[in-house]
Amino acid sequence: MWHNLVALPRYRGLIQTLVVRDLKARYRGSVLGFFWSFINPLLLLLIYNFVFSTVMPGVRPADLEPYALFMFCGILPWTWFSSSLLESSSTLLSGGNLIKKVLFPAEVLPIVTVLANMAHFFLGLPILVGFLVYYQRPLDPVELLWFPVIVLVQFVLTIGLALLLSALTVHFRDLKDLLGNLLTLWFFATPIIYPISQAPDYMRWAMNLNPMTHLAISYQEVLFYVGPHGHWRWLMSLALLAVMTFLLGYFVFDRLRDSFAEEV
Amino acid sequence: MRPASESPVVRFTQVSKRFLLRRNAAGSVKELCLAALHPSRRETHRELWALRDVTFDIHAGEAVAFVGRNGSGKSTLLKLVAGITAPTQGQVLVTRDARIGTLIELGIGFHGELSARDNVYLNAAIHGLSRREIDEVYPAILDYSGLADFADQPVRNFSSGMHMRLGFSVAMQLRPDILLLDEVFAVGDAAFQAQCLDTMRAYRHRGGTLLFVSHEPESVRQICDRVIVLDAGAVVYDGGVDEGLEAYARLSASRGIDVAGVDEHPAPASPPRA
Repeated sequence: MWHNLVALPRYRGLIQTLVVRDLKARYRGSVLGFFWSFINPLLLLLIYNFVFSTVMPGVRPADLEPYALFMFCGILPWTWFSSSLLESSSTLLSGGNLIKKVLFPAEVLPIVTVLANMAHFFLGLPILVGFLVYYQRPLDPVELLWFPVIVLVQFVLTIGLALLLSALTVHFRDLKDLLGNLLTLWFFATPIIYPISQAPDYMRWAMNLNPMTHLAISYQEVLFYVGPHGHWRWLMSLALLAVMTFLLGYFVFDRLRDSFAEEV
Repeated sequence: MRPASESPVVRFTQVSKRFLLRRNAAGSVKELCLAALHPSRRETHRELWALRDVTFDIHAGEAVAFVGRNGSGKSTLLKLVAGITAPTQGQVLVTRDARIGTLIELGIGFHGELSARDNVYLNAAIHGLSRREIDEVYPAILDYSGLADFADQPVRNFSSGMHMRLGFSVAMQLRPDILLLDEVFAVGDAAFQAQCLDTMRAYRHRGGTLLFVSHEPESVRQICDRVIVLDAGAVVYDGGVDEGLEAYARLSASRGIDVAGVDEHPAPASPPRA
């Protein structure tokens, strides 16, 4: 395992080429092309905004304004997270040719998936910045230093889960469908379209067990709420968990590696 | 023929490879649960010995053709040399510092929406070239393929012959020491096949080692100096080209296609490990 892990940086050229392929190929042939990276999160935001501002305006807390901005702080990173997991669950199967026909470091595939989705996340950020400017939100530059840290924690956590899922799906194809449903549940269990303060007290402990809770709150604290980033202790614990998840994911992946060429 | 060097570059010692073919639907949670409840439904595997007790040495500079009917284990053998799969029994030794070119399929990773240029970079990266190395050989690749006019066209507009031309051109610039070729000339037109054969001869002239899987006696005669005939996963002939091709012809005539010995018996429900 360590041997393979240490060899991983050697593949950065390959990873880079494959990420570029993913990004180029995804919107090639569509009229709007790369703009879909902006439009997709924007449309999602419009839907939720419509639901919470027009359909059932009483549900949200009155003091949380602008609500669209609040939701966007969570939706954007969530899209990165959920698309990464969903796509990585099938990445080894769809990349079967690479694994079966050449000697190819299979872990590159889920990593590429996570990175390509991270690129979309970054492409969505200008919209978020646009909102921040439009609403004239006061941003603390010192607090903004936390932003790359949060992104890094999410990155490591997502890679770990992506490695785990991609390897397991080779043997249990059902995981892909299971995951789709699980992610829907997970989305609503994470304080993204509602603030954590609205969750009932007896549910708090369960929500605190959800790693995405702390990522969402961290993004909200840094980008939305005024005042210092009070959630950093949770974030640091999560960083530790993320590293452990990565190691576990890589360990499982490495153990199953030899079976891929025959099972895919 | 050049004198073969002392130690072989590829050595197979009593190599066997077993595949477990799942009979029940492929790995699913439902099947696992059902299997736990009903012993009779427990997953059974068909065992397929793709290779049995295969032993041979290949020395640097040799060009060996592997011939045999469909399912005789030729491609499995190449995958073992490439290190894509591991043998079930026996030992596969490949000289350590050799750069292996694996051409089991041409144009791996090609994406139809991307241009020929992008695909060349992609394919070469998959075969292990760094960006700088690709920059160096890219003009040669384009030149060899004869597709310079189409470099910026998406490859989905290419014919299958052009597709293959591009893939082969990349492959020939990988400069391997050991080249594994799996019936890849099949598609091209006569001119390109001739070009491929020339390239192969030049490659051999440089001292490259070639492991070549083919059904086509003519190209075997032109490129190779040794033939290994496989039947049902076992070596049935190893020697000169003409005798080897005769042995293969007799084999094809004597029986229709039958797949290597299949034994059926229940196997543990755990996923098969290499």
